[in-house]
Amino acid sequence: MRKPVSGTPTWVAPAAVVAAVAILIAAFLVVRWYTTPLPLPTPSADATQQVIAEITSLPQSELDSIGQGTASNLIKPVSGSLLTGSTGKPEVLYIGAEYCPYCAAERWPLIIALARFGTFSGLQATTSSSTDIYPNTPTFTFHGATYTSQYVDFRAVETKDRNQSPLQSPTAAEDQLVTRYDTSNSIPFVDFANRYAFAGAMYSPDLLGGRTWQSVATDVQNPDTTQAKAIVGSANMLTAAICKTTGDQPAAVCSGAAVQAIEKKLG
Amino acid sequence: MPRVQLAVIVAAVAGLLVSIYLTALHYAGSPAACPIGGPVNCELVLMSPYAVVAATTVPTSAAGILWFAITALLWTRRFGWMQVAWSAIGMAVVLYLVFIEIVKLGAICLWCTLAHVLVLLIFLVAVSTRSERAAR
Repeated sequence: MRKPVSGTPTWVAPAAVVAAVAILIAAFLVVRWYTTPLPLPTPSADATQQVIAEITSLPQSELDSIGQGTASNLIKPVSGSLLTGSTGKPEVLYIGAEYCPYCAAERWPLIIALARFGTFSGLQATTSSSTDIYPNTPTFTFHGATYTSQYVDFRAVETKDRNQSPLQSPTAAEDQLVTRYDTSNSIPFVDFANRYAFAGAMYSPDLLGGRTWQSVATDVQNPDTTQAKAIVGSANMLTAAICKTTGDQPAAVCSGAAVQAIEKKLG
Repeated sequence: MPRVQLAVIVAAVAGLLVSIYLTALHYAGSPAACPIGGPVNCELVLMSPYAVVAATTVPTSAAGILWFAITALLWTRRFGWMQVAWSAIGMAVVLYLVFIEIVKLGAICLWCTLAHVLVLLIFLVAVSTRSERAAR
């Protein structure tokens, strides 16, 4: 006697699974398309200088009240001969790239921290890549900028532009430092005179997604915002590492309560 | 052993090898052998915060080792609901990971995709086998 058969052919269930997976993937692509922030119009040179002036003139009370904030402590002590810059002062070496969203995030606190020891000029607003993770993260580029300080030298290497075309190359000695201290080969890589180093961003670039430079600067000036806790917290971490290389000079910067507390954590 | 059962075990072993490779890369801090271009970027995916199990330092690929190993063991046994349920769990996780790749990261990791395809194939075999059994 012939066995009764089900009314539904056996190929229907797997075919339905394949169709459902295809529909879901199509839906993911649509969501991605809708949620990707559009490239922001880059602010004018004057507006950029205004933003930089705002984030580099934060009151000491805000810096101290935030402390480490929500910044991740990525900074590790390293050993090596003292890294000095072109003027013989302890050098802060940054290696990153304009397309990189983590570099985009980390430049904000790096600028805040370094501006406490010296003066930047020529910083230009830009965004991270439109096609990478955390697309179009607002930031500045160190390419074409200059920095002067009586305490530290700053050397920045932006290896690629935001379209991933080659821009600058590290020296052979700098490549060796990356090989030695940045074992995960991540960027940004920051070396504080071969005394401390870290790779990566101390907070998620997601905090800056879809924001204008001015709105980030406004948030940074309010210690209660998520952005201030992340960016100013990171800036305090970087400041403490720089103070460690300058012998706590200048005292006006390095004797702050937040910096002193973080210096103890750095070891 | 039926050919279908053997095919699933082979797929599970292949997935196991891919997962071991990705886990080894994670702990060695080495880049994956993977081209970069367009949406394909293994490094971006494997270095992202989503490449580890939430709130741990355990790479997602380590969970893959566990899943494929259990799959291989399950398919040495008589087919039943357990194989369907287990492969459905794997498929659900794969869909979440694909969501992360496409929506959150905007990048695809080829090695991860290979593992995802193997999970999909195993799930399809489980569903087909279940349909056949139900039709008898």
